[in-house]
Amino acid sequence: MRLLRPLAVAVVVALLGLLVWDMAQSDGSKVAKKVDAGQVVAAPKLVLPYHERDGVFDLAAQRGKVVVVNFWASWCQGCKKEAAALNAAARHWRNKGVVFVGVDVNDFRRAASRFVDRHDVGYTIVRDGPGSTLGKWGVTGLPETFFVDRKGRVVPPHVLAAATRAQLDEGIRRARRS
Amino acid sequence: MRLAALAAGAALLLAAAPALANERHPTQGELERELVCPTCHTTLDESDAPIAREMKAMIRQRIAQGATKSEIEQELVDEFGPTVLGVPRKRGFDLLAWALPLGGIGVAAAGLAFGAWRWSRARDRGATAPQASSAAPLDPELDRRVDEELARFDA
Repeated sequence: MRLLRPLAVAVVVALLGLLVWDMAQSDGSKVAKKVDAGQVVAAPKLVLPYHERDGVFDLAAQRGKVVVVNFWASWCQGCKKEAAALNAAARHWRNKGVVFVGVDVNDFRRAASRFVDRHDVGYTIVRDGPGSTLGKWGVTGLPETFFVDRKGRVVPPHVLAAATRAQLDEGIRRARRS
Repeated sequence: MRLAALAAGAALLLAAAPALANERHPTQGELERELVCPTCHTTLDESDAPIAREMKAMIRQRIAQGATKSEIEQELVDEFGPTVLGVPRKRGFDLLAWALPLGGIGVAAAGLAFGAWRWSRARDRGATAPQASSAAPLDPELDRRVDEELARFDA
Protein backbone atom coordinates (compact mmCIF):
# COMPACT_ATOMS: atom_id res chain seq x y z
CA MET A 1 0.00 0.00 0.00
CA ARG A 2 2.93 2.31 0.84
CA LEU A 3 4.36 1.64 -2.62
CA LEU A 4 1.10 2.34 -4.42
CA ARG A 5 1.07 6.13 -3.90
CA PRO A 6 4.54 6.89 -5.36
CA LEU A 7 3.76 4.49 -8.21
CA ALA A 8 0.54 6.34 -9.04
CA VAL A 9 2.41 9.69 -8.89
CA ALA A 10 5.11 8.28 -11.20
CA VAL A 11 2.47 7.11 -13.71
CA VAL A 12 0.78 10.53 -13.71
CA VAL A 13 4.14 12.32 -14.16
CA ALA A 14 5.05 9.94 -17.01
CA LEU A 15 1.72 10.60 -18.74
CA LEU A 16 2.20 14.37 -18.36
CA GLY A 17 5.71 14.03 -19.82
CA LEU A 18 4.28 12.10 -22.77
CA LEU A 19 1.72 14.86 -23.37
CA VAL A 20 4.40 17.59 -23.29
CA TRP A 21 6.63 15.56 -25.63
CA ASP A 22 3.74 15.07 -28.06
CA MET A 23 2.95 18.79 -28.01
CA ALA A 24 6.62 19.62 -28.65
CA GLN A 25 6.66 17.20 -31.59
CA SER A 26 3.54 18.63 -33.20
CA ASP A 27 4.86 22.18 -32.73
CA GLY A 28 6.68 21.85 -36.08
CA SER A 29 3.37 22.05 -37.93
CA LYS A 30 3.49 25.80 -37.24
CA VAL A 31 6.58 26.18 -39.48
CA ALA A 32 4.62 26.46 -42.73
CA LYS A 33 2.04 28.76 -41.11
CA LYS A 34 4.71 31.06 -39.64
CA VAL A 35 6.59 31.26 -42.95
CA ASP A 36 3.31 32.01 -44.74
CA ALA A 37 2.80 34.82 -42.21
CA GLY A 38 6.17 36.28 -43.27
CA GLN A 39 8.26 34.99 -40.35
CA VAL A 40 11.71 33.38 -40.47
CA VAL A 41 11.87 30.15 -38.41
CA ALA A 42 14.50 27.52 -37.61
CA ALA A 43 14.29 24.65 -40.09
CA PRO A 44 12.92 21.42 -38.61
CA LYS A 45 15.22 18.41 -38.52
CA LEU A 46 15.50 16.69 -41.89
CA VAL A 47 17.58 13.52 -41.80
CA LEU A 48 16.55 11.00 -44.45
CA PRO A 49 18.12 8.20 -46.51
CA TYR A 50 19.06 8.95 -50.10
CA HIS A 51 16.88 7.44 -52.81
CA GLU A 52 18.73 4.72 -54.75
CA ARG A 53 22.06 5.13 -52.99
CA ASP A 54 23.55 4.51 -49.56
CA GLY A 55 23.90 7.20 -46.96
CA VAL A 56 21.79 9.78 -45.24
CA PHE A 57 21.08 13.40 -46.12
CA ASP A 58 21.19 15.78 -43.15
CA LEU A 59 19.89 19.31 -43.66
CA ALA A 60 21.93 20.52 -40.67
CA ALA A 61 25.11 19.58 -42.55
CA GLN A 62 24.21 22.04 -45.32
CA ARG A 63 24.79 25.16 -43.17
CA GLY A 64 26.42 27.89 -45.22
CA LYS A 65 24.39 26.96 -48.30
CA VAL A 66 20.89 27.87 -49.40
CA VAL A 67 18.72 24.76 -49.57
CA VAL A 68 15.54 24.36 -51.62
CA VAL A 69 13.42 21.64 -49.97
CA ASN A 70 10.75 20.26 -52.28
CA PHE A 71 8.19 17.71 -51.02
CA TRP A 72 6.86 15.52 -53.84
CA ALA A 73 5.54 12.09 -54.89
CA SER A 74 5.37 10.32 -58.24
CA TRP A 75 1.55 10.12 -58.11
CA CYS A 76 1.14 13.88 -57.61
CA GLN A 77 0.03 15.82 -60.71
CA GLY A 78 1.49 19.14 -59.57
CA CYS A 79 4.86 17.45 -59.06
CA LYS A 80 4.93 16.43 -62.72
CA LYS A 81 4.01 19.96 -63.68
CA GLU A 82 6.87 21.59 -61.73
CA ALA A 83 9.55 18.98 -62.55
CA ALA A 84 10.99 20.89 -65.52
CA ALA A 85 11.17 24.19 -63.60
CA LEU A 86 12.86 22.51 -60.61
CA ASN A 87 15.39 20.81 -62.86
CA ALA A 88 16.22 23.98 -64.73
CA ALA A 89 16.57 25.99 -61.51
CA ALA A 90 18.72 23.28 -59.90
CA ARG A 91 21.06 23.33 -62.91
CA HIS A 92 21.21 27.12 -62.94
CA TRP A 93 22.01 27.48 -59.20
CA ARG A 94 24.20 24.38 -58.84
CA ASN A 95 27.56 26.14 -58.57
CA LYS A 96 26.26 29.16 -56.69
CA GLY A 97 26.00 27.69 -53.20
CA VAL A 98 22.42 26.43 -53.63
CA VAL A 99 21.41 22.83 -52.95
CA PHE A 100 18.13 21.29 -54.14
CA VAL A 101 16.66 18.35 -52.26
CA GLY A 102 13.52 16.52 -53.28
CA VAL A 103 11.77 14.67 -50.43
CA ASP A 104 9.81 11.77 -51.91
CA VAL A 105 6.92 11.05 -49.53
CA ASN A 106 4.23 8.33 -49.36
CA ASP A 107 5.51 6.76 -52.55
CA PHE A 108 6.67 3.40 -53.91
CA ARG A 109 10.44 3.32 -54.50
CA ARG A 110 9.99 1.92 -57.99
CA ALA A 111 7.46 4.59 -58.93
CA ALA A 112 9.81 7.28 -57.60
CA SER A 113 12.67 5.86 -59.69
CA ARG A 114 10.49 5.93 -62.82
CA PHE A 115 9.60 9.57 -62.09
CA VAL A 116 13.28 10.50 -61.59
CA ASP A 117 14.23 8.81 -64.89
CA ARG A 118 11.30 10.21 -66.87
CA HIS A 119 11.89 13.79 -65.69
CA ASP A 120 15.67 13.49 -65.71
CA VAL A 121 15.90 14.77 -62.13
CA GLY A 122 19.46 15.88 -61.56
CA TYR A 123 19.38 16.95 -57.91
CA THR A 124 19.40 15.05 -54.59
CA ILE A 125 16.38 12.88 -53.85
CA VAL A 126 15.73 11.54 -50.36
CA ARG A 127 13.07 9.11 -49.24
CA ASP A 128 10.35 9.45 -46.61
CA GLY A 129 7.97 6.56 -47.32
CA PRO A 130 5.87 6.95 -44.15
CA GLY A 131 5.74 10.76 -44.57
CA SER A 132 7.14 11.30 -41.08
CA THR A 133 8.60 14.72 -41.95
CA LEU A 134 5.36 16.20 -43.27
CA GLY A 135 3.98 17.12 -39.84
CA LYS A 136 7.22 18.74 -38.68
CA TRP A 137 7.30 21.03 -41.71
CA GLY A 138 3.55 21.59 -41.75
CA VAL A 139 3.14 20.19 -45.25
CA THR A 140 -0.56 19.78 -46.03
CA GLY A 141 -0.43 18.75 -49.70
CA LEU A 142 1.96 17.97 -52.50
CA PRO A 143 3.98 19.54 -53.97
CA GLU A 144 5.28 22.09 -51.48
CA THR A 145 8.59 23.96 -51.55
CA PHE A 146 10.53 25.67 -48.76
CA PHE A 147 13.66 27.83 -48.87
CA VAL A 148 16.29 27.45 -46.14
CA ASP A 149 18.89 30.19 -45.74
CA ARG A 150 22.61 29.79 -44.97
CA LYS A 151 21.88 29.92 -41.22
CA GLY A 152 19.49 26.96 -41.37
CA ARG A 153 16.31 29.05 -41.16
CA VAL A 154 13.18 28.67 -43.29
CA VAL A 155 12.43 31.96 -45.00
CA PRO A 156 9.40 33.13 -46.99
CA PRO A 157 8.03 32.41 -49.53
CA HIS A 158 6.62 28.93 -49.09
CA VAL A 159 5.28 27.61 -52.38
CA LEU A 160 2.06 25.63 -51.82
CA ALA A 161 1.50 24.40 -55.38
CA ALA A 162 3.54 23.48 -58.44
CA ALA A 163 6.49 25.89 -58.29
CA THR A 164 7.31 28.03 -61.29
CA ARG A 165 10.83 28.98 -62.30
CA ALA A 166 10.15 32.60 -61.28
CA GLN A 167 8.95 31.51 -57.79
CA LEU A 168 12.03 29.33 -57.33
CA ASP A 169 14.44 32.09 -58.38
CA GLU A 170 12.68 34.60 -56.14
CA GLY A 171 12.76 32.24 -53.14
CA ILE A 172 16.46 31.51 -53.64
CA ARG A 173 17.31 35.20 -53.96
CA ARG A 174 15.45 36.01 -50.74
CA ALA A 175 17.16 33.13 -48.92
CA ARG A 176 20.57 34.34 -50.15
CA ARG A 177 19.83 37.86 -48.90
CA SER A 178 18.58 36.62 -45.49
CA MET B 1 -9.11 -38.44 -21.16
CA ARG B 2 -7.52 -39.37 -24.48
CA LEU B 3 -10.81 -38.63 -26.25
CA ALA B 4 -10.94 -35.18 -24.68
CA ALA B 5 -7.37 -34.42 -25.79
CA LEU B 6 -8.22 -35.55 -29.32
CA ALA B 7 -11.33 -33.37 -29.36
CA ALA B 8 -9.36 -30.37 -28.10
CA GLY B 9 -6.71 -30.93 -30.80
CA ALA B 10 -9.36 -31.17 -33.51
CA ALA B 11 -11.03 -27.98 -32.26
CA LEU B 12 -7.68 -26.16 -32.34
CA LEU B 13 -7.02 -27.35 -35.89
CA LEU B 14 -10.48 -26.26 -36.98
CA ALA B 15 -9.95 -22.82 -35.45
CA ALA B 16 -6.48 -22.42 -37.00
CA ALA B 17 -7.44 -23.62 -40.47
CA PRO B 18 -9.10 -20.39 -41.69
CA ALA B 19 -6.18 -18.31 -40.38
CA LEU B 20 -3.70 -20.54 -42.22
CA ALA B 21 -5.79 -20.36 -45.38
CA ASN B 22 -5.89 -16.54 -45.11
CA GLU B 23 -2.11 -16.43 -44.64
CA ARG B 24 -1.40 -18.56 -47.71
CA HIS B 25 -4.20 -17.31 -49.94
CA PRO B 26 -5.09 -13.77 -48.88
CA THR B 27 -7.96 -12.02 -50.62
CA GLN B 28 -7.88 -8.51 -52.04
CA GLY B 29 -10.82 -7.52 -49.83
CA GLU B 30 -9.34 -8.60 -46.52
CA LEU B 31 -6.02 -6.86 -47.19
CA GLU B 32 -7.79 -3.67 -48.29
CA ARG B 33 -9.82 -3.76 -45.06
CA GLU B 34 -6.71 -4.24 -42.90
CA LEU B 35 -4.19 -1.90 -44.53
CA VAL B 36 -4.14 1.88 -44.19
CA CYS B 37 -3.58 4.52 -46.86
CA PRO B 38 -0.52 6.61 -45.81
CA THR B 39 -1.90 9.91 -47.11
CA CYS B 40 -5.53 9.82 -45.92
CA HIS B 41 -5.12 7.41 -42.95
CA THR B 42 -8.28 5.44 -43.75
CA THR B 43 -8.32 1.78 -44.73
CA LEU B 44 -7.57 1.10 -48.39
CA ASP B 45 -11.12 -0.09 -49.12
CA GLU B 46 -12.41 3.34 -48.08
CA SER B 47 -9.78 5.36 -49.91
CA ASP B 48 -9.59 6.53 -53.49
CA ALA B 49 -6.35 8.50 -53.04
CA PRO B 50 -3.78 8.02 -55.83
CA ILE B 51 -1.35 6.15 -53.57
CA ALA B 52 -4.19 3.93 -52.27
CA ARG B 53 -5.03 3.00 -55.88
CA GLU B 54 -1.35 2.13 -56.47
CA MET B 55 -1.29 0.03 -53.30
CA LYS B 56 -4.43 -1.84 -54.36
CA ALA B 57 -2.85 -2.57 -57.75
CA MET B 58 0.32 -3.84 -56.05
CA ILE B 59 -1.72 -6.11 -53.75
CA ARG B 60 -3.68 -7.50 -56.74
CA GLN B 61 -0.43 -8.21 -58.58
CA ARG B 62 1.26 -9.88 -55.58
CA ILE B 63 -1.80 -12.07 -54.86
CA ALA B 64 -1.76 -13.20 -58.51
CA GLN B 65 1.94 -14.04 -58.09
CA GLY B 66 1.09 -16.23 -55.08
CA ALA B 67 2.54 -14.03 -52.33
CA THR B 68 1.41 -14.76 -48.77
CA LYS B 69 -0.39 -12.24 -46.61
CA SER B 70 2.66 -11.55 -44.42
CA GLU B 71 4.89 -11.12 -47.49
CA ILE B 72 2.56 -8.49 -48.95
CA GLU B 73 2.22 -6.74 -45.59
CA GLN B 74 5.99 -6.73 -45.07
CA GLU B 75 6.61 -5.28 -48.55
CA LEU B 76 4.18 -2.45 -47.80
CA VAL B 77 5.73 -1.86 -44.36
CA ASP B 78 9.16 -1.63 -46.08
CA GLU B 79 7.75 1.08 -48.37
CA PHE B 80 5.54 3.06 -46.02
CA GLY B 81 6.48 2.07 -42.46
CA PRO B 82 4.50 0.10 -39.85
CA THR B 83 1.68 2.65 -39.69
CA VAL B 84 0.38 1.14 -42.93
CA LEU B 85 -0.84 -1.82 -40.87
CA GLY B 86 -4.26 -1.16 -39.38
CA VAL B 87 -3.26 -2.99 -36.18
CA PRO B 88 0.18 -3.34 -34.55
CA ARG B 89 2.08 -6.60 -35.20
CA LYS B 90 2.21 -9.20 -32.43
CA ARG B 91 6.01 -9.27 -32.26
CA GLY B 92 8.95 -7.12 -31.23
CA PHE B 93 8.28 -3.67 -29.84
CA ASP B 94 4.77 -3.63 -31.37
CA LEU B 95 3.83 -6.44 -28.99
CA LEU B 96 3.71 -3.78 -26.24
CA ALA B 97 0.61 -2.30 -27.88
CA TRP B 98 -1.17 -5.61 -27.21
CA ALA B 99 0.53 -6.48 -23.91
CA LEU B 100 0.05 -3.15 -22.12
CA PRO B 101 -3.78 -2.97 -22.31
CA LEU B 102 -4.08 -6.68 -21.42
CA GLY B 103 -1.57 -6.22 -18.59
CA GLY B 104 -3.52 -3.17 -17.42
CA ILE B 105 -6.74 -5.18 -17.37
CA GLY B 106 -4.96 -7.95 -15.43
CA VAL B 107 -3.54 -5.49 -12.87
CA ALA B 108 -6.94 -3.81 -12.49
CA ALA B 109 -8.64 -7.21 -12.01
CA ALA B 110 -6.02 -8.23 -9.44
CA GLY B 111 -6.50 -4.90 -7.63
CA LEU B 112 -10.28 -5.37 -7.60
CA ALA B 113 -9.93 -8.95 -6.34
CA PHE B 114 -7.51 -7.82 -3.63
CA GLY B 115 -9.86 -5.01 -2.59
CA ALA B 116 -12.85 -7.37 -2.48
CA TRP B 117 -10.87 -9.88 -0.41
CA ARG B 118 -9.83 -7.20 2.09
CA TRP B 119 -13.38 -5.85 2.28
CA SER B 120 -14.89 -9.30 2.89
CA ARG B 121 -12.29 -10.04 5.60
CA ALA B 122 -13.05 -6.76 7.34
CA ARG B 123 -16.79 -7.55 7.20
CA ASP B 124 -16.21 -11.03 8.66
CA ARG B 125 -14.22 -9.53 11.50
CA GLY B 126 -17.04 -7.06 12.14
CA ALA B 127 -19.62 -9.88 12.15
CA THR B 128 -17.66 -12.08 14.57
CA ALA B 129 -17.05 -9.26 17.07
CA PRO B 130 -20.63 -9.14 18.52
CA GLN B 131 -20.66 -12.95 18.79
CA ALA B 132 -17.63 -12.80 20.98
CA SER B 133 -19.28 -10.21 23.25
CA SER B 134 -22.50 -12.28 23.45
CA ALA B 135 -20.49 -15.10 25.00
CA ALA B 136 -19.68 -12.83 27.99
CA PRO B 137 -21.79 -13.46 31.19
CA LEU B 138 -24.97 -11.35 31.52
CA ASP B 139 -25.50 -8.77 34.20
CA PRO B 140 -27.23 -10.60 37.22
CA GLU B 141 -30.13 -8.12 37.24
CA LEU B 142 -30.69 -8.56 33.49
CA ASP B 143 -30.36 -12.33 33.87
CA ARG B 144 -33.08 -12.31 36.51
CA ARG B 145 -35.43 -10.22 34.33
CA VAL B 146 -34.93 -12.50 31.34
CA ASP B 147 -35.73 -15.54 33.50
CA GLU B 148 -38.92 -13.81 34.75
CA GLU B 149 -40.03 -12.99 31.22
CA LEU B 150 -39.38 -16.53 30.02
CA ALA B 151 -41.33 -17.92 32.98
CA ARG B 152 -44.26 -15.67 32.03
CA PHE B 153 -44.23 -17.08 28.53
CA ASP B 154 -44.10 -20.62 29.80
CA ALA B 155 -47.07 -20.09 32.12
